[in-house]
Amino acid sequence: MTTTLTPAAGGLLPPAASARISPPKRTRARADRSVIILGSAVALILLLLIGYPVVSLLSAAFAPDGLAVLGRIVTEPANHRIVLNTLVLGLIVGVTGTLIGFLFAYAQTRIQFRGKKLLHLLAMVPIVAPPFAVATAVITLFGRNGAISNGLFGIKGDIYGLPGLVLVLSLSFFPVAYMNFRGMLESLDPSLDEAASSLGANKLRVFFSVTVPMLVPGFAGSFLLLFVESIADLANPLVLGGDYTVLASRAYLAVTGDYNTSAGAAYSLTILLPALLVFLVQRYWVSKRSVVTVTGKPTGHTEQITARSIRIPVLAIVGVISALIITIYLTVLAGGFMKVPGVNNAFTLEHFQFVLTGLGSKAMIDTASLALIAAPIAGVLGMLIAWLVVRKLRRTSGLLDFVGMLGLAVPGTVLGIGYALSYITPTTIFGLQILPALAGGTAAFSGGIAIVMVYITRSLPSGQRAGIAALNQIHPAIEEASTSLGAGSGTTFRTVTLPLIQSALVSGLTYAFARSMTTLSPIVFLTTPGIKIMTSQILAEVDSGRFGNAFAYCTVLIIIVLSLILVLNLLVRKVIFRGRTHRR
Amino acid sequence: MRRTPLTIVLAAATGLALFTGCSQTAPGSESAGAKKPVTFICSPQEDWCQLVAAEFTKASGYPANYVRLSGGEAVARLSATGNTPEFDAWFGGGAEGHLAADAQGLIEPYVSPNADQIADEYKDPKDRWTGVYVGALSFCSNTDVLKEIGAKAPTSWNDLLDPRFKGNIAMAHPGTSGTAYQALWTHVELDNGDQAQALEYFAKLHSNILQYSKSGSAPGQMAGRGEVATGIIFAQDCQKFIKEGFTNLTTTFPKEGEGYEVGAVSLIKNARNPEGAKAFIDWTLTAQAQDLAATVGSYSVPTNPDATITDDMVDLKKLKLVHADIDAAGTARNALTAKFDAEVAPAPKE
Repeated sequence: MTTTLTPAAGGLLPPAASARISPPKRTRARADRSVIILGSAVALILLLLIGYPVVSLLSAAFAPDGLAVLGRIVTEPANHRIVLNTLVLGLIVGVTGTLIGFLFAYAQTRIQFRGKKLLHLLAMVPIVAPPFAVATAVITLFGRNGAISNGLFGIKGDIYGLPGLVLVLSLSFFPVAYMNFRGMLESLDPSLDEAASSLGANKLRVFFSVTVPMLVPGFAGSFLLLFVESIADLANPLVLGGDYTVLASRAYLAVTGDYNTSAGAAYSLTILLPALLVFLVQRYWVSKRSVVTVTGKPTGHTEQITARSIRIPVLAIVGVISALIITIYLTVLAGGFMKVPGVNNAFTLEHFQFVLTGLGSKAMIDTASLALIAAPIAGVLGMLIAWLVVRKLRRTSGLLDFVGMLGLAVPGTVLGIGYALSYITPTTIFGLQILPALAGGTAAFSGGIAIVMVYITRSLPSGQRAGIAALNQIHPAIEEASTSLGAGSGTTFRTVTLPLIQSALVSGLTYAFARSMTTLSPIVFLTTPGIKIMTSQILAEVDSGRFGNAFAYCTVLIIIVLSLILVLNLLVRKVIFRGRTHRR
Repeated sequence: MRRTPLTIVLAAATGLALFTGCSQTAPGSESAGAKKPVTFICSPQEDWCQLVAAEFTKASGYPANYVRLSGGEAVARLSATGNTPEFDAWFGGGAEGHLAADAQGLIEPYVSPNADQIADEYKDPKDRWTGVYVGALSFCSNTDVLKEIGAKAPTSWNDLLDPRFKGNIAMAHPGTSGTAYQALWTHVELDNGDQAQALEYFAKLHSNILQYSKSGSAPGQMAGRGEVATGIIFAQDCQKFIKEGFTNLTTTFPKEGEGYEVGAVSLIKNARNPEGAKAFIDWTLTAQAQDLAATVGSYSVPTNPDATITDDMVDLKKLKLVHADIDAAGTARNALTAKFDAEVAPAPKE
């Protein structure tokens, strides 16, 4: 019944519709004004965060060097293969990562078993995937001389290329899908399942004909996010790619190998096209159906599934993947205590001593402070964009949604260059200086502002997607009730909408923090003498072959991120929302 | 008015911003008297950079700080700032990177009084860069894997074509790594400038290559972990891995002759502190400054003849070095690596 409430799916209600419910003219005018103010503020922020750097890049891509590359992408078969490789990788990781995330969330919310807290923790661990750590651990385990592949089974496996990339990327990115699905499954109305059951459907039928269709925005959103993340990822293709070249690594090569920034920009432009395509398809597809489940009406408790036909296969798959995650992260942990991981496994504390006493401690404080500034801004901004896109804007909503997503679709290397081009020198319009230099060693705060901006840009999209998926589930009538009682749009957003999509906000915040702490490639172009960033220290250790130090850094990084995420979660749930969960 | 969640979050964020901002402003600007600080790009490994900055300050009184950037990253960042650079000098990294920056008008020629001591082949005839260290190309092999496949450590480029090495050799992609491009260009020089013949050799070698890595030193790590038998890398990198604990590695050299890189130092055009930058360049060319490298496990060969050659370094006199024209190699680079990309790398393996 709930699915038929609005034909205007996705809650894309024009402002006029909400006005019909709230007749007093003054209220309507006020609501619209606050939407205009919020909307322009968000637009201005996005312009600074993403628009300006991307435009700087595009002008580089359309410089003569870049145009030549664009021409060659169309004409040369070698380039066609790179584009195809990128698409194949994105599609496979998009599908597998989404499925893994869904299975974990389904097991967590619906299936009865012991150890749910442990499973939740396991699903959260991979969001802290410091560059190189997972890929290096996978090589140590499954490479040609790997501890498992060669040591246990005596196989000289070839992990380099597509198989290794799919494994590592799916494992690294599925937690976003997991967080999205968990939020959605928790707010699904169990009375629908009960209705289907009482009409005679078995659990499997209920699952495929009731549960899955309601999660369509979650599937579409997760797929889009994973697709975009995996085609723009750089660190893993660099370590594990083998001969499998993708556009992101090609763009990086153009910059670092050919000294050709324009060519790098041109390759990145090619990454944006498939991202745009998938974005449009999912938008069109999702808007065809409505999945409103949060109507403000009281509902019952979710029944835990005990049926073997669902329980056994789901738990088996989840179990295998959990075991894989445990093995990989234990390898990273153990590596920090070995003299030379994989070669000389004698126990040592030297690496941790190096990390905790040397340059490492400044890097830890600098990185964590910058990430802590970026995370709340990214989280709230993501929710604001989601709210504007789903509820308030009509014609411009697609554009706003896409611009928000761009921060992820542009490969890090190139985003970094865009920032360097835009913000190392003061920003001027027609000779009039409007902004001082924000990046580079000569800027204020040692160039920390630009680093925070990059962190926000990179981590915004996940919160935004989670927010959009969550809002699509909530019937607009709840907010309209608030508006008709005289509250403005801004107040409604703060007091009604935000608490309702709290779980999306928390996952946005969590992810933003983890993402910021582990971002590497754009930072390279923005580091300054005054600020040390952990990921670039890790890169330096990997470069000089000190894997023990690199693994120790990664372990410390993982511990910092997980403990701060815990604090962040508690803060949001217990302090900011003071237990106003709106959950049934 | 009741404080709303949104404002609390934003207030917290601004608070944090102010807090961390204050703790990070103006590093070391007042610590060393009246001298203006020198900011330099540093391309070698982190601990060497740290030592260089600290020791230079001790020797000259100039406060010094650095950002670690690889060659390509340095060029991209310098070109972003154009005429108002944030850096004064660039220390380390292959000379071809410095030339790429010069091609965009970002380098100021400078002849250091200390450059007299440096041999001609290790400095630019047009004074754009001066060499501070030299690294020779080598074969870095894992003795365990060699035993397994029944091969000896290669001593000739042709040894690498042996079918026993199938899937057991790693090198970086010449398009991404100066090291690998050096290998490619060495063959061009060995073949008297015939690029087609050089590419032919690499087309044959392709059947034995497991992976073209992106970073120049990665093949050494792969050999160290037993992923491949031999990695084509600079001798100092192989020695560094051996010292870091990959004790099953061994270094050999091709008897036909090997290429080498020159790690350079250069002056940035329109530097904010040109006097400091010049003092820095002068200092990096001294034997005392160059002796620092070995103390942090960097075993490239110093260019200053008075600097100490330790046992971990290669004796360049015993090797058959192929002298390359760095300018010509740089000019040919884009076309040659594009050909490599199109004709060699994507070919299906036999």
